[in-house]
Amino acid sequence: MYDDAPVRRGWQRFLLNRFVLVPAAIAVVTLAWNLYVATHDHGLVSGRVVDAVGKPVADATVTLWVFNFVTFEEKLHVKTGADGSFRFTDNPSHKIELSAEKPGVGRSARLPVRLYFRAQDTALTEPITLSRPG
Amino acid sequence: MMRRNPRWPIHAALIVVSVIMLVPFYWVLKTSLSGENIYAYPPSIIPKSPNLFYYVDVWYSIPFARYFLNSVAVSAIAVAANVVFNAMAGYALTRSFAGKGLVILLFLSCMMVPFQATIIPAYLITGKLGLLDSWLGLALPQCSTIICIFVFKASFEAVPPSLIDAARIDGLSEWGIIWRVMMPLAKSAVATNVILSFIWSWNNFLWPLIMTRTPEMQTLPLGLARFLSYQEDTTGALYAFCIMVLAPGLLLFLMAQKEFIQGLTSGATKG
Repeated sequence: MYDDAPVRRGWQRFLLNRFVLVPAAIAVVTLAWNLYVATHDHGLVSGRVVDAVGKPVADATVTLWVFNFVTFEEKLHVKTGADGSFRFTDNPSHKIELSAEKPGVGRSARLPVRLYFRAQDTALTEPITLSRPG
Repeated sequence: MMRRNPRWPIHAALIVVSVIMLVPFYWVLKTSLSGENIYAYPPSIIPKSPNLFYYVDVWYSIPFARYFLNSVAVSAIAVAANVVFNAMAGYALTRSFAGKGLVILLFLSCMMVPFQATIIPAYLITGKLGLLDSWLGLALPQCSTIICIFVFKASFEAVPPSLIDAARIDGLSEWGIIWRVMMPLAKSAVATNVILSFIWSWNNFLWPLIMTRTPEMQTLPLGLARFLSYQEDTTGALYAFCIMVLAPGLLLFLMAQKEFIQGLTSGATKG
């Protein structure tokens, strides 16, 4: 034989080529992604609410808005705890906004939150700040 | 020692042309990641805060996976049918038979009739066959194309007749001659058929629009129209949709480009 290429057995020729390996790699990535989604889609959204000077705000009302075709509609409400933390447990969407308010302390602007899949568990890295008069 | 004819001017020109060709693709990709207004001035070359959320929007706005499956299935049927039927027809047109000139004339004249003019008969025939709203029905009008028949005919005519005679003497049937002798020598025609039939089927809009009755049977071009009617602010998501539609074809070409180019450059002279 004049060809320098190593001789491959039958099954190697069929399996070890880019027409099999590329789709197989895509399938593996898809499977891994779906496993990740299946284990992280409990709809948990958590975060903290602080006032204008950064102090935690207890008993503030946090509202979760869900995108519905062209606009956001009010979906869920929770109250913050003593340390200003809140937690939604059944967010159904991938495109939401969060707002918070407490009479006498202030209210926040709506904070857009984008997720990579519906009901993705997420924790806000930045607190929601009540800065306007409530 | 310097070359008498330096190649750098050719390379420089090719690089410039390549960049000009690739800029629209880059712009689509950039906008799909950033959602920036495409008319913004001055334009930004690097996307600002790129993210994948527009792709997520597309995924959830329409049943993308179902449309994708439909497009893949219909294109696969169209590609397979084109290669088989066009090869058979092309081979038949290389043989001598009574009325061959008339058949070729008929084929050529049929090429001049636009599909829009035959869409009602095509719909009625598909309906009579009970194939409306099915993958096979979606692929049916594209299962054979006259241009691709002539591509096969031209390729088969380049095969020496002595080779066909030898195959016949060795006991091969006409069917065997097509698949065992002609097709391996007509890789260029096969590649051309695969590329053209895939592109035509993948991009087809009018026929799926006419013959699909349920949203579940729609293909990606119809999905794009549906998506545009759903969304108000579509800049980023629209471009993300375009990338998602383009990606399978690009991936297919990148995987098979060696075969395509080999097929397009070797052809019938390969023994």
